[in-house]
Amino acid sequence: MAAVSLIESVMKFAIALFSAAHAPSSRRALLFAQAALAGGHEIVRLFFYQDGIYNASASVVTPQDEQDLPRQWRTFVTEHQLDGVVCIAAALRRGVLNEEEAGRYQREAVAVGAPWELSGLGQLHDAVQDADRLICFGGA
Amino acid sequence: MSTLHVLSHSPFGDDRLTSCLRVIGANDALLLTGDAAYALQKGTAPFEALNARAPKLFVLAEDAQARALPVPDTAKAIDYPAFVELSVHYDKVNSWL
Amino acid sequence: MAKSLLIISRQAPWSGPSAREALDIVLAGGAFDLPIGLLFLDDGVFQLAAKQDAKALQQKDLSANLQALPMFGVEDLFVCGDSAAVRGLDPNGLSLEEAQVLAADEITALIDRYDQVITL
Repeated sequence: MAAVSLIESVMKFAIALFSAAHAPSSRRALLFAQAALAGGHEIVRLFFYQDGIYNASASVVTPQDEQDLPRQWRTFVTEHQLDGVVCIAAALRRGVLNEEEAGRYQREAVAVGAPWELSGLGQLHDAVQDADRLICFGGA
Repeated sequence: MSTLHVLSHSPFGDDRLTSCLRVIGANDALLLTGDAAYALQKGTAPFEALNARAPKLFVLAEDAQARALPVPDTAKAIDYPAFVELSVHYDKVNSWL
Repeated sequence: MAKSLLIISRQAPWSGPSAREALDIVLAGGAFDLPIGLLFLDDGVFQLAAKQDAKALQQKDLSANLQALPMFGVEDLFVCGDSAAVRGLDPNGLSLEEAQVLAADEITALIDRYDQVITL
């Protein structure tokens, strides 16, 4: 591997997550995000798409002997005041609605709230334009 | 331009590794994460395919360790800080979702 | 100058939401006038098979959206020739005529040309 330069440049990361909270790639995404900040880099946005939206769900109940990814994401985003965006179209079709959408579509369950923002794919493109690096996690 | 390709699916019964090895460039690298680490299983077709193409190869240490997979001399086991460094070193990251 | 983004679509049209959600990313990028490319690879080439009938599965017909891509300013369309051939598809008989057929080494070069890439 190339020698690490003494002066490391600060990079802006856009991190997109496509898999649900129980998927191993979701845990990897969080660990990567934590390492990126610990390494002195910036995260311009976390964007949850496809099943990744489930990581923002406040309704997920994790067994006690398992890692509570949704809670860990929430803590991470809040603690570092990051921009956590959930794709609204992906969230709606999967039944993860915030108060506004639940009201709009007359649904009973409100599954997502602060710090998560429901927005469109434009936010993903915006992050891709702003960041130096885009990293996607998902699949398995 | 150089790309860090990231795989996370088992190479058995999945064509992501094969497709990745078809398009991976001379300046690129391949990081095996999750079940993609099983490509390091000796004596298997995926392992042979990796050796034949011989890309610059990395594996997430936690994934090799969990699966008791030996890390060959041709690969480097890395942690998350090193994963971040790799993503900085290469011009872009292509995760095969 | 805007960063260019290549979307690599690898899933068959109705294997789940991936094909459509990949296309949504492309269309959104086109709508924002961003430099977007779309490559059909592996099972993704099945999205371009002729004479498909989505209605038989009560599914959305993606081909209408695919044909609309140039109207959204997305003209950089590519298909992997090998993926089509091994799947019994004539690379020159696909439903998206504008899609350029590429060999493996051309795909390597293609990925290199873009600033960012999403493969789903």
